[in-house]
Amino acid sequence: MTGVAAQIWLPLSLLFYTAVALYWARIAARENRDYETYFSAAHSLSSWIVAMLMAGASVSCWFLLGGSAEIGQHGFSAPALLQAGIALALPGTIFFKRMWFVCQRLRLSSQAELFRSYYQSDFLVVVSTVIAILFAIAFAGLQMRALSHIISTLTGGEASPLVVSMVLSLVMFGYVAIGGMRAVAYLGVFQTVLLCAAMVGFAGYALIDLGGFGALNSRLLALASDPNGAPLFSVSGVIHFTAGLGRADASGSPDTAMMGFGLTLAFMGFQASPLASKIVLSANNARGFAAGQTWVMAGVFGGLIVFGIAIMGAAMLVEPGLSVPNIFMTLEKVSPWFMAWLLIGAIAGVQLVSALALLVAGESLVRNVYKPYFHATLSRRDTVNLTRVVVGILALASVLMQSLTPIALSALGSVVLPMSFQLWAPLLGVTWLRWITRPAAATGVAFGLAGVILTEPLGYEILSFFGLELPWGRWPWTIHSAAWGMAANLVVVLIISAITNREAFGEEAQEVRRFLQSALRVSGRAQALRSVAWAAILIWLFLAVGPGVEFGNFAFGVPGAGRGWILGMPSLWAWSALFWVLGVGLLWFLAYKLEMASPVTAVIDAYEPRPRLHLNQGQRERERLRALVITGAVGFGLAVLIAFSFGR
Amino acid sequence: MGTPARIERGILVFSIWAALGFLGLGFVLEGFTRNAIALSLLGTAIIMAALGAHIVVNAIFQQGFTTGEATLGAAAYGAMVLVFIVAWLSGGLSSANYLSGIALFGILAIGFIAYLTTRYGLRDAFSRFHPHETSSKETAR
Repeated sequence: MTGVAAQIWLPLSLLFYTAVALYWARIAARENRDYETYFSAAHSLSSWIVAMLMAGASVSCWFLLGGSAEIGQHGFSAPALLQAGIALALPGTIFFKRMWFVCQRLRLSSQAELFRSYYQSDFLVVVSTVIAILFAIAFAGLQMRALSHIISTLTGGEASPLVVSMVLSLVMFGYVAIGGMRAVAYLGVFQTVLLCAAMVGFAGYALIDLGGFGALNSRLLALASDPNGAPLFSVSGVIHFTAGLGRADASGSPDTAMMGFGLTLAFMGFQASPLASKIVLSANNARGFAAGQTWVMAGVFGGLIVFGIAIMGAAMLVEPGLSVPNIFMTLEKVSPWFMAWLLIGAIAGVQLVSALALLVAGESLVRNVYKPYFHATLSRRDTVNLTRVVVGILALASVLMQSLTPIALSALGSVVLPMSFQLWAPLLGVTWLRWITRPAAATGVAFGLAGVILTEPLGYEILSFFGLELPWGRWPWTIHSAAWGMAANLVVVLIISAITNREAFGEEAQEVRRFLQSALRVSGRAQALRSVAWAAILIWLFLAVGPGVEFGNFAFGVPGAGRGWILGMPSLWAWSALFWVLGVGLLWFLAYKLEMASPVTAVIDAYEPRPRLHLNQGQRERERLRALVITGAVGFGLAVLIAFSFGR
Repeated sequence: MGTPARIERGILVFSIWAALGFLGLGFVLEGFTRNAIALSLLGTAIIMAALGAHIVVNAIFQQGFTTGEATLGAAAYGAMVLVFIVAWLSGGLSSANYLSGIALFGILAIGFIAYLTTRYGLRDAFSRFHPHETSSKETAR
């Protein structure tokens, strides 16, 4: 293929993608009619759109770029990665239906509003907002950074990563600002399909290049038979009591069963995030959650991960030239149209989660923090316009951080999912566990976040800045930060819930409890199945992602002395495929048989709170602003003083 | 069909052609570049699958092709045929490429006729191509 063709197809495909994005933004804007439906698409998204959008945003481009590279580097020693389809779908199965009903009753449209109404907790509102911002700037920014470097290389360095990133962000800002949530959703379906196609395309290319599935496994077998390669095909024990990564006394592989378990918990963070809540609360009914979570997320996307991403990673393992960037480089020379097609899929995957995160972060900052605390009289039109400005600022901040502070971006990006997982406790309190009290939920999340940050490089770097040295490194005892955070969170929630008044809830929370009891009462048949469900969940967790995953090391054969694997593929890979199938069955059981996400049709009247006296907030808002400025200035001064005195 | 349904159908149609249509086109071009008839046929099959999926979406939403879609499809088909004929007349086509082109255009044409026939019946399918004039007898009735 000539160089001219290669130079034509890349910009042509990007132009096509931009045109499609702006076309759908225009349609979304026309559907929105005015600023009233900008944030939640008038709660009118169909079930199938919600299912596709949720699955695409949950997977994003992380698995294509990061997941495959992880397998390519560490082999199958972290099989929990292959169960991501199930781990990502589980929270939605548990929360979405009840969350949708509660918010429909209280007429809420975001996670922050839900926390404010139910717990009356400003802290949880701020945490939800911070997590949304981290998703927008760091989580999506990391993916955008990787992709912009690839595109920059494809242009032969003519466009720098910064320029590529700015162009992509500009397109994204354009459709988010124009069409709001509706544009994110409409385009999200299109992007999800393209992402799927790219995942299949990459896996197919890798298989064809290596000579098929049999040839790939033959080379894997040769690698596994080598003493140096064998560790790539087994989990290295249940737990190692090391001080963590980056510490001198850390020894052995960190890929233990407990590490895999923690990674699974981190994956469970996405659907507890404010991003997932936004999608759920934009739906026009609750009938599609069961099918979406079971068949689309766990079934289709889980299958793509356990086979597609695994094939890509395995191909990288035996042939490093088959990494995603290298495939792009090769295809640019031999088939630029395929390169362009795959590239659009990757861009779609990144923009899908990035656009959603930007919208949610902008809304949270303006609508859930700025307006209620500092400017209650802000009109709806001004709220939307200010959100557009904030979305632009956040997109710009992300672009600049990608280019100027990649290490800080990486440190922030790595804590997002574990931090989001800490929101499980307050969400469980709203939807299922009535005994979780307001102080317990808020304090639990605070301890959970501390647990996460102190076991990640972010905490290490912050404390190091102030001259404090943590005695451990990243993920001590080979336990992931998500698990450390949840351990702290859980202990605090249990203790504080036990010693605080369980009836001390506000009016809205009392109403939520009454409403869930009446509208979503679980049938007797489902209640009888509860013990079976608990047993099934625990068995699946133990064998698929917990200590039992060690059985997978040898369940389908151990290569050596002329012997191969029983199913012709690595034992842990086959084990993961088996438990993916069982995981889909488990989710089906929870969603339908246990009625956790089963379709329910009901007319939900809006809850009418008792009339309250609305005082003039102007004076209080000014005081709040003054307090914020003073606290910020004092905090900054103290930070500088401590860093100057003790820091490095 | 209401606006939400029309939009949902549009999203599906866009997704189908972006994923399958472009892939099929890529394979056809790859086949032409490498003189590989098997690749071209694979591309043709994928384009036909996209067309089939489009028709399934139409059936789900109980609608035919929109005027815009029909125009775009006919224009794209016409342009490709024109390029093919010019290339053939200028002698720039190998036998493999010639067969690939004939297969692509032939299968697309047959597929389209088959679609019209199954949707409207033989007689009405023919009537889709010319304006139906109401006879004076019909008016009187």
